[in-house]
Amino acid sequence: MLALDLLLQGIVQGAIYALIALGLTLIYGLLRILHVAHAALFTLGGYIGVIVTNETGSLPLALIVAMVSVGLLGIVIYRLAYKPLLDQSPLVALIASIGLFIAFEEVFRLVFGSYGLSFENPPLRTQVNLGGGLLISHSKLLVIGMAIVILSILAWLSTRTRTGIAWKATVTDSQIASSFGINIERVRYLNFFIGSALAAAAGVMVALLTNLVEPTMGAVASYKALAIIVLGGLGSVRGTLVASIAIGIVESFGTVYVGHILDRDALAFAFLVIALMIRPQGLFKAG
Amino acid sequence: MLSVKNIQCGYGDIVAVHDLSFDAAAGEVFALIGANGAGKTTTIMALAGHLPPNQGSITVDGCDISAGPARERLQYGIALVPEGRRVFPDLSVEDNLTVGGHTLERARLATNRDNVYQIFPRLAERRSQLAGSLSGGEQQMLAIARAMMADPKILLVDELSLGLMPKMVDECYQVVDTLKKQGLLIVLVEQSTQRALDVADQVAVLESGHLAWQGSGDEARTDSSVVSAYLGT
Ligand SMILES: Nc1ncnc2c1ncn2[C@@H]1O[C@H](COP(=O)(O)OP(=O)(O)O)[C@@H](O)[C@H]1O
Ligand SMILES: [Mg+2]
Repeated sequence: MLALDLLLQGIVQGAIYALIALGLTLIYGLLRILHVAHAALFTLGGYIGVIVTNETGSLPLALIVAMVSVGLLGIVIYRLAYKPLLDQSPLVALIASIGLFIAFEEVFRLVFGSYGLSFENPPLRTQVNLGGGLLISHSKLLVIGMAIVILSILAWLSTRTRTGIAWKATVTDSQIASSFGINIERVRYLNFFIGSALAAAAGVMVALLTNLVEPTMGAVASYKALAIIVLGGLGSVRGTLVASIAIGIVESFGTVYVGHILDRDALAFAFLVIALMIRPQGLFKAG
Repeated sequence: MLSVKNIQCGYGDIVAVHDLSFDAAAGEVFALIGANGAGKTTTIMALAGHLPPNQGSITVDGCDISAGPARERLQYGIALVPEGRRVFPDLSVEDNLTVGGHTLERARLATNRDNVYQIFPRLAERRSQLAGSLSGGEQQMLAIARAMMADPKILLVDELSLGLMPKMVDECYQVVDTLKKQGLLIVLVEQSTQRALDVADQVAVLESGHLAWQGSGDEARTDSSVVSAYLGT
């Protein structure tokens, strides 16, 4: 029973990592930029989720507002911060991204205060019995359900629609894609919009689970998502998904069985180090 | 149909192609040959819009397209089969063709895909296979098929036979012959020259970015000393 419980917990955590890391891996695949500031968009999503829910009482509305507005902000970040740097070494964009991330954290502190925000009436706290005494909160169910729905939509988009196929082609080889009339600038916008919206959704989910958003909540997300996309084989979507769930599950079991030696984050990195020793190219080769 | 006038192309301060001019018409094979590093790919990429020339002009049926972006080349009927094939490895054969026909309406996309499958039955058999899992020769065919999807008038082919098994080279050249008979202009870049010379209507030899020799295919074939002098064969 404990094992099942831990597995479920790991999947919930892994689903959140997947939502964050997916945008990161898509952006890396397309532009070869490590978009560290992505984690700030995750935090912002959490803030918007809590604030809109508190103002309107509607969690679904909050989720939509968070995803759309943060998605648009992602496009703005690409346009203003990254696009002018694309001709430079990727290190320049990386430094810009780290700067942006720190700036965002400070802005959160100034605008929303250092102590963080919580839901006035925390939604979806009730537990459901999955049978056999296995309990799960509605919010965790929502996280898993959301992840499944979002990933299915993306899978459908990228395999069944011409826009999605063009998107994948552009991520693999934008120069050749442009030769076939694909507007790669538009693909980049789409990419930043979707990636950022997913991070915002993850932010709202974390807010739901912990009932707290604070300025620095993106810090752990930022380095762990980086670890995940490296483990997944930089730029590989499938690898990122597998690595997210794997790290979620390792953390969940690890904290119980070896938690007295290594804390949760140390565990994730120990796993990363061992996995990369066995497969230096990551779980999946980048596509 | 395709007219190149005094183009100069390069990378930053490096000039890779100096003062190149040629004209080529529909139904021709224009062979651009030369040793490794001679500037063939640079020329092809300039024609494809990936490397705007520093000087000179490229016109198609009188329209100057020198500075136009690669994305608009298909509007002028120019399609690219790039060096190294560069199929999209994690897309299926069918999806690679869908990308090739990105600019087409849905109905045309399906028709053209069927046409292309008729020219390349081998691709039809492998339509749901990932392009990355195809052999080199099959990938080259896919690269050609992908370029054919948008009904081009001018096909730019960079290194048709490089790294292919002899049997595949034969098949690829048969396709070139078929397309030429359909009235396409094919700009064909090759390092291994003999096969290219066999099909060429016009030949240009590049040497360190300079046009070293230019003439008809017949001249090049009868007076092969001209070509071998430049290529050291
Ligand atoms: N991206 C690049 N940056 C700088 N120089 C390049 C680049 N690509 C090719 N060159 C140089 O331009 C010259 C011509 O190269 P290329 O057109 O690729 O020759 P070819 O296709 O005939 O082998 C070579 O000297 C090569 O080193
Ligand atoms: Mg070349």
